Amino acid sequence: MAIHQKNYSDFVNLLFMGAYLASASLVGYLFRYIHFTETNIIMAYLLAVLLTARQTNGYVYGILAAIIATLAFNYFFTAPYYTLAVYDPNYLITFVVFTITAMITSALTSHVKQSAIKANEKEAETKALYMLTDHLTDAESMHDIAEIAVKIITDVMQCQTGCLCFDENGLPEGKFVQQLSPEEQIHRDVTDPEELKHRIEGLRTDSVSGTEFNDWLIFGRDNVLGLIRIPLKRTTAMTEAQIRLLRSMIESIALAMDRHRSSQQRQKYREATVQERYRGNLLRAISHDLRTPLSGIMGTAEMLMDMTNSNDPRHDLSKVIYNDADWLYSLVENILSLTRLQEGKLILNKQLEAVEEVIGGAVHHIKQHSPEHEITVKIPEELLLVPMDAKLIEQVLINLLDNAVKHTPKENEIRIQVSKNTATNDVMFSVADRGEGITQIDLPYIFQMFYTSQSKQADAKHGIGLGLPICDAIVKAHGGNIEVHNRSDGNGAEFIFSLPMEVNQDG
Amino acid sequence: MDNLGARILVVEDDSQIRNFICYALRSEGYKYSSERTAQGALSLLVSEPVDLMLLDLGLPDFDGMEVIKKVREWSEMPIIVVSARDQDKEKAAALDLGADDYLTKPFSATELLARIRVALRHLYQQNKNQQHTCYQIGDLRIELDKHLVFLKQIEMHTTPMEYNLLVLFFKNSGKVLTTSFIIKEIWGTDYGSDTQALRTLMAGLRRKIETDPAKPRYIMTEIGVGYRLVDE
Repeated sequence: MAIHQKNYSDFVNLLFMGAYLASASLVGYLFRYIHFTETNIIMAYLLAVLLTARQTNGYVYGILAAIIATLAFNYFFTAPYYTLAVYDPNYLITFVVFTITAMITSALTSHVKQSAIKANEKEAETKALYMLTDHLTDAESMHDIAEIAVKIITDVMQCQTGCLCFDENGLPEGKFVQQLSPEEQIHRDVTDPEELKHRIEGLRTDSVSGTEFNDWLIFGRDNVLGLIRIPLKRTTAMTEAQIRLLRSMIESIALAMDRHRSSQQRQKYREATVQERYRGNLLRAISHDLRTPLSGIMGTAEMLMDMTNSNDPRHDLSKVIYNDADWLYSLVENILSLTRLQEGKLILNKQLEAVEEVIGGAVHHIKQHSPEHEITVKIPEELLLVPMDAKLIEQVLINLLDNAVKHTPKENEIRIQVSKNTATNDVMFSVADRGEGITQIDLPYIFQMFYTSQSKQADAKHGIGLGLPICDAIVKAHGGNIEVHNRSDGNGAEFIFSLPMEVNQDG
Repeated sequence: MDNLGARILVVEDDSQIRNFICYALRSEGYKYSSERTAQGALSLLVSEPVDLMLLDLGLPDFDGMEVIKKVREWSEMPIIVVSARDQDKEKAAALDLGADDYLTKPFSATELLARIRVALRHLYQQNKNQQHTCYQIGDLRIELDKHLVFLKQIEMHTTPMEYNLLVLFFKNSGKVLTTSFIIKEIWGTDYGSDTQALRTLMAGLRRKIETDPAKPRYIMTEIGVGYRLVDE
C-alpha cells in the first residue's frame, strides 16, 4: 500500500505539472493571437513553473517543469514552429536565461514550502510531547502511565497502540493495555510471554519486530521498564519525523516511569524503616514485659528458699518455682537472640578480644549456676587476640557449657580447650563433656531449629532446641564453623567451633 | 554494724521486684523507701536523706540515665543500676555517667546485698577520708607507700603500668570499672577507645597474679563492660 501511495502522489504531481504547462501554452497562443510580445508568453510559462513547484513535493517537479517549459516555448512559439530547432540564435540566450530563472524560482518556492512543512511538523511534535508529559505528571501508577501513553500515541500516530509494563525485575507483566478507538481501552493477556522475554533478552536496540507488530522498548535507568507495541504496517509507513517523535515520546514515558519507580522505592524504604522500628519496639516490650515479672518471680522464690529449712517441703516447692522461672527466662532470652540473628540484622560489634577473658566470663557464668561441676580450661600460654563480638561468643560458650553441664554427671570432667591453627589462621574452641554423647539419629539435626532429641522421652523441658541453633548462627556470622562429634576416648560429645584470626574485609 | 544506719532508695516500677528488693533490704536491717517513677525519686531525694540508690533504668516516665545525670549534679551517693536490658552499651554508659555498679535482671538477693555492701563500704571510707597505704585481697597485697606488690607474701615484680592498674583496681575494689574509664585513667584522655592495649596489659598482669588466667581469682572480666576486682 505504501508503494501504491507513492505512485499515486507521483501521478498527481505529474498531472498538476502537465495541467499548468498546458494552460501556459494555451495562454501563449492567445497572446500571439492578439499580438502581445513573446516576453509575456515567457512570463506565462514562468508562472506555470512556479505554480508547479508550489503544488508538488520536492525539487524534482519544479526543475522538470522548468526544462519542459523551455522546450515547449521552443516547440510552440519560435520559428520554425513545431520543431525543437531555432533559426534565430538570440533565442538560445532566452532559453538558457529562462531555464535558469525558472529553476531558481521553483527551487526557492519548494524550499519555502519544505520549511513550512517542517515547522508544522515540529509544532505538532512539540504539542504532542507537551500533551504527553503534561498528562504523565498526573499518573499515579505504572499502569496509569501506560494508559496515558497508549492514548496519546494512538492519537498522534493514528494506529492501535499497546503498552506492556515490566515489573521491578525487568520481566514483562502478564497483561498489556491496548487502545482500540479514541475512547476505548482494553487490557489483554500477553499471548507469548516466554517468546517475548526471549526476544527482549540481550537486546540493546530500541525496537524489535514481530510478525504483526513492532515493539519499541522503554529503557529506564537500570533496566527495561516496558514496551510500546505498534502495528508493523504503521511503523513501516512512518516518516523520519514521526519516528523521531515516537522516540521522544518513549523517552518521556521512560522518564515518567523511572520517576514513579524511584518514588515507589523511597516509599518502600520508608515503610520498611517504620516496620523495623515497630518490630524493635515490640521486641523490647516483650523482653521487658516478660523478663521483669520473671525476675520478680525468681527473686521471690529465692527469698522463700532462704526463709525455709532445706528439709521443709516448702523449700523444695520454692525451688521448683525458681527453676521453672529460670528456665522460662532463658527461653525468652534465646527467642530474643534468635529473632535478632534470624533477621540477619545482627550487627556484630567486632573487636580484638582476649580469648582467655571470654572463656573466663563464660566459665564464671556457669559456675554461678552450677557450682558443683568442675570445668577444666586449657588455653595456649600466649595471649590470643581474636576479632569477635565478645558478648555473642560468650553466649556461644555459655550455651555449649550449659549443654555439657546438663548432660554430664557432677563428678565427670567438662573440658574447654583452645588452640591456634596456624595453617588456616583460625582459632579452634572445643567444649567436651562426659555425658552420654549424641545418638547417630540426632547428630545431623542437632543445629536445627526446634529440634529436640529423639532418644529422650518426656523430659523435653531441657530440649527446646534453641541453644545450638543460636551457637550455629553466631559462629557463622563471624565467618567461622561449628561441628560436633562423639568423643573417641570414651563417653561424651565434643563441640568444636572455629573463628578466623583476621577480619574479613566483607565480614 | 554500719548497715543499720544506711538509708536506701529503691526506684523500680515493677511492684513484684520492688517488693522482693525491699524484703531483702529489710531482712538485712537497712532503712529504705521506694519510688516507682523517676520524678518521684528526684523529689524524694531533695526532701529525705538517702545514702544509696538502687535505680531501674527502664522507668515509665523518663530514662534512668537522666536520673543519674541529675543526681550527679549535686550528690556523690552510690548509685546501683538495676536493668533488664541486655545492652551492654547502656550499662557502660550508665557507669560512665557516674553510676557505681550494675545488676542485670534476674539477680539474686545475695548478689544484690553483696553489691550494696561494697558500695556502702566505699562510701564510708570516703566519708572518713581514710587514706589506705595498704590493701589486701586474698593472697594479693599492695603497699602504696613502698610501691610494692606481694603475692603469697612474696614480692612481685610489676611494670609501672601494671602497678598503676593494680592501684586503680584496689582503690575501687568490688566496683565495675568500664574499659573507657580504665583507659582514661592509665593512658590519659587522648587514647580513644582502643581496647587492644588494655587487653594486652591485662593479660600480662593476669599471668603474674592469677594461677589460671582463664579462671581468674582476682580480676574478673565483665564482657562488654569492663573489669572488676573481687572484693571479699
